[in-house]
Amino acid sequence: MNKVKTANRQNQASHRGNDVSPLQIHRKIALDSAKRLILSPLSSSMTIVVIAVSLLLPALLFGLNENLQSILLEFQNSARITLFLDNSVSESQGQKVSDNLLTDNAIQSATYVSATKALEEFSLSSGLGEVLRSLSSNPLPAAVIITPATLNTGEINALSQRLETISEVDFIQLDSQWINRLSALSDLISIIGQLLAAIVITGLFFIIGNTIKLSIENRRQEIQVIKLVGGTDIYIARPFLYTGLLFGILGGSVAVFLQLIILMVLNGSLQELIQLYNSNFELRGFGFFNSLSLVITGALVGWLGAFLASFRYIRGVNP
Amino acid sequence: MIKINKLSKRYGDGQDALTDINFEIGKGEMSFVTGHSGAGKSTLLKLILAIEKPSGGDLIVNGLNLNKLSRREIPYHRRKIGTVFQDHQLLTDRTVFENVLLPLEISGFPVEDAKRRVRAALDKVGLLKKEKIFPAALSGGEQQRVGIARAVVNRPSIILADEPTGNLDPNLSAEVMKVFEQFKNVGVSLLVASHDTSLIKTLNYRVIHLDHGRMVNDIGIGNE
Repeated sequence: MNKVKTANRQNQASHRGNDVSPLQIHRKIALDSAKRLILSPLSSSMTIVVIAVSLLLPALLFGLNENLQSILLEFQNSARITLFLDNSVSESQGQKVSDNLLTDNAIQSATYVSATKALEEFSLSSGLGEVLRSLSSNPLPAAVIITPATLNTGEINALSQRLETISEVDFIQLDSQWINRLSALSDLISIIGQLLAAIVITGLFFIIGNTIKLSIENRRQEIQVIKLVGGTDIYIARPFLYTGLLFGILGGSVAVFLQLIILMVLNGSLQELIQLYNSNFELRGFGFFNSLSLVITGALVGWLGAFLASFRYIRGVNP
Repeated sequence: MIKINKLSKRYGDGQDALTDINFEIGKGEMSFVTGHSGAGKSTLLKLILAIEKPSGGDLIVNGLNLNKLSRREIPYHRRKIGTVFQDHQLLTDRTVFENVLLPLEISGFPVEDAKRRVRAALDKVGLLKKEKIFPAALSGGEQQRVGIARAVVNRPSIILADEPTGNLDPNLSAEVMKVFEQFKNVGVSLLVASHDTSLIKTLNYRVIHLDHGRMVNDIGIGNE
C-alpha cells in the first residue's frame, strides 16, 4: 500500500516537468485542493449542499419572477375593456354606442356583442346549453368589447373614466387589472429575491469562512513550518482560496442541478392545471446564462469568503 | 552578518529571557552558543528569526534592523536564513525530497534548478537514496539530517542550528559539523546552539556561554 503511494508520488515528481510555468503551479495547487476535498467526502459534500441550497432559494425567486414576466409580456398585448350596457338599451342603440366609440383616438377597435349573441357564445363554450335554454329570460347583458390603442396604464385609466360617463353603460371591466396586480406581485417577488440573496450571501461568507478556518486549524503545523522557512501569507493562503473557489463552483453547479429537478417535478404536476386553462404554458428553467451566472456567483462568494477567512486566520498561526 | 548590541528580551509575564547581549558574527564565521536549558539559547534564535520581537537593544541581521522589520518583510528575511530545528519541523505528509524542496518552492525557484539543488543538499547529508521516503519512516538522526538539507538548500547567508546533533551519535555529529564547516568555508555565517560540550571541545570555534539570559563567557578561537 505504502509502496504504491510512494510510487505514485515518484511518478508525479518526475512528471513535474522541465518548464513549469506559474499556470502549472496554480494547476498543481488547485489539484491538491481538489484532492483534499475528496479526502473528506462527508464534510465537503455537506458544505457544498449548504452552499447549493442557499444559492438556490433566491435563484428560485428570480426564476419565478422571470416566468411571471413572460406571462405578463404575453398578455399585455391583449388588454381589453368590456363595457356592459344597461338592460334598457336596445340592440340598435348598443350598436350605435359601439360605432361612436371608434371616433376616440385611444380606442383601436370596438365590437358590439348583443345579449342574445352573448348567450349563444356562452352556451357553446360552457356546454350548459340545455340549462340556459330552460331559463325564462336571458341573464346576460349586452356588451361592447374594446381594445385600447395604448398599453399605458395611465392612458387606459383615463379612457375608462371617459367610458364610465356614457349614459348607456352600466359598468365597465378592465381586463388589464389583473395584469397590473401580477406586475406588482412580480416587483415584490423581485425585491424579496434581492433581499434574500443579500442575506444568503452574507451567510455563505460565514459558512465558507468557518470551513476554511477549520481546515487551517487542521493544517496548523504545516503552516507553522512554511512560515518558518519563509512562506508568505499569500503562498499559504493559495490552496485555501482554491478550496473556497471549488466549494463555490460545485455549490453553484449543484444548485443548477437541483433547479432542473424542481422544474421537472413542477412542470409535471402543473400540466393538469394548465390543461384546464387550455394553455400551453410551461415553467421555464434558469437557461444557460442564468445557470452560468449562478455558478459564477457561487465561485465569487466561495473565493471571497475563503480570502477573507484565510488571511485572518493564517495571520494568527505563528511558529 | 549578525550584529547584536545590548539586546534584551522580556516576555509578557515579566520574565527576562535575555539581558544585555552583545556579540557580532561576521561573514564566514561559526560560533556556538551554549548554556543550560532555559538559559536563553532558543530565545536568541527566535529573535534572529523574527519569531519574537526584541524588548530592547539592536539586532541587525543581513544589514536589516529587526526592530524595524514589518510583518510583510518577515518571510523574505527568513528566506535568507537556513534554520535547523531541534524538533526537525518536517512535514509528515510530504516525502524527504518534497520537504527539502519546500524553501525553493516558496521562493518560486525554477523547478529543474530546484531539483538539482535538492539532490545536492540530500547528497551532502547522505540521504540521496531516501528522497522518496516519508519522514516518519526515518530514524531521528536521519530526520535531523533532512532538516539540515532543508536549511542549506536555499544557500542562505546565515545558518542557525538549534541542537543539530541532539539525536546523532558522535560519528554523525562530526559529519554534520563537517557539513557546517564546508558552508563556513564558502562564506556562510553559522550560529549553533548546543550543549554537546564534548563535541564543541573537539572543534576550535568561538563559544558564547549564556546563563539565565546573560552572557557569562565569550571564548574566542584558540583560547579554549
